[in-house]
Amino acid sequence: MLDYSFMQNAIVVCVFISILCPCIGIFLVLRRYSMIGDTLSHASLAGVAMGLMVNQNPVLGAFVFTSICGALIEFLRTYFKKYTDLILSIVLSLSVGIAITIISSGKIHANADSFMFGSILTVTQLDMFMVIGLSLLSVLALIFLYNQMLYIAYDEEAAKIAGVKVRLINYVFSILVASAVSVSIRIVGVLVLSSMIALPVATALQLGKGFKATLVFSIVFSMVDIMLGLFLSYYLNVAPGGFTALVCVAVLILVLIFKRFLRARN
Amino acid sequence: MVKAENLSFSYNGLPPFILDDINLEIKDGEYVSVMGENGCGKTTLMKLILKFIKPTGGKIICSAKRIGYVPQRNDFSNSGFPITVYEALNSYRKLLKIKDKNEVVKNLELVGMTDFAGALMGTLSGGQSQKVLIARAIMGEPDLLVLDEPSTGVDINSQKEIYGFLKKINKEKGITVVSVEHNLEAAVSNSTQIYHLAGGKGHLCTPEQYAKEFLKSK
Repeated sequence: MLDYSFMQNAIVVCVFISILCPCIGIFLVLRRYSMIGDTLSHASLAGVAMGLMVNQNPVLGAFVFTSICGALIEFLRTYFKKYTDLILSIVLSLSVGIAITIISSGKIHANADSFMFGSILTVTQLDMFMVIGLSLLSVLALIFLYNQMLYIAYDEEAAKIAGVKVRLINYVFSILVASAVSVSIRIVGVLVLSSMIALPVATALQLGKGFKATLVFSIVFSMVDIMLGLFLSYYLNVAPGGFTALVCVAVLILVLIFKRFLRARN
Repeated sequence: MVKAENLSFSYNGLPPFILDDINLEIKDGEYVSVMGENGCGKTTLMKLILKFIKPTGGKIICSAKRIGYVPQRNDFSNSGFPITVYEALNSYRKLLKIKDKNEVVKNLELVGMTDFAGALMGTLSGGQSQKVLIARAIMGEPDLLVLDEPSTGVDINSQKEIYGFLKKINKEKGITVVSVEHNLEAAVSNSTQIYHLAGGKGHLCTPEQYAKEFLKSK
């Protein structure tokens, strides 16, 4: 299995995705924004469709359009302060509308289905380098903005008093989310991407640790989920995205059972 | 330290105003409690001082170089957030660009919470979490400390400790304290002045005067 070059590419991409997704996901989950991941993954489909339509790299198309949608969500937050979930419906409608219109128009001369469900076979070397580049940039930005983002998630008012430029960092963060989404869709697929963003974090939260420890455990669970999903989907000959989502849920259930068992024992 | 001139505020920008043509001056080193009935605009005034919201009319000037803020516990209900006491304070220290790593331990010592450094914030009692929030607020020695109902959800013993500590840092370090209060006893015994808000209007008075006004209104 490891002799195949597409599988080697897939493994490299998976390692980076499994680090990037929970790094972004932990802030989304703790800010109660985990559905943004779902909305932006649908937005990325529109970006993929646009990229394919103009014969450009679809991952790049996804990154650009998802970044625009992320910034749009942040912008609309000013107008829908009390109905923030409505913003997601608006952006979701816009994105799905664009994606379906382009795909159904027949102007795409490539297969967009692989982005919906995720595929190992379609990961090219160019995709791999793009994933590595975007992931490294995102992780660097996260390291640099770690304390600011932690405080915006934990106590936004205290962050403002400490001089954090909350609005600006929220815009930067929406681009980081867009980056995580666009690099992940090749393997995981649009439809189950939000599970990669939210579930490893949900699993790590069950351990009741501090922020840094929760982040580290989120990455560990994410690696376990995605690698198991990748290898098992290869042998079962099914789409990796769907199977990874199943593994994410299974690991979460196992941790919940283990936690209950420990509590009963004590 | 804080000066409001003809300050008015309403959330939709139109009358009736929650705060209506307020004039207020809080001098350096004072301990001012803001008192009044529920919904009279105490927290709104605090948000204006902290620049969380903009005035509808007039202006408010705050000359503090560094402000410490202790939110109301009911508003700060982020109890499920996975963060330890040490992480909460250490990250804040880094945001304030304070290089001395000992500042966290030093402040926890001041409020008697050193033993809880590794505990999750969500597992602390009302009094304990309020002490941690005060330890965070006094990081880097602010010139102004703003508190929103510091005794809400706090047991009597912790209340005594917290108010004793606030009085101490006000006297010894000269930190100006502005505290939105519903605790009459604490306000009267701690404050140098009380700002009494009612019907959108307000005035500064001595704690004794306020106690008389309060009894008369009941």
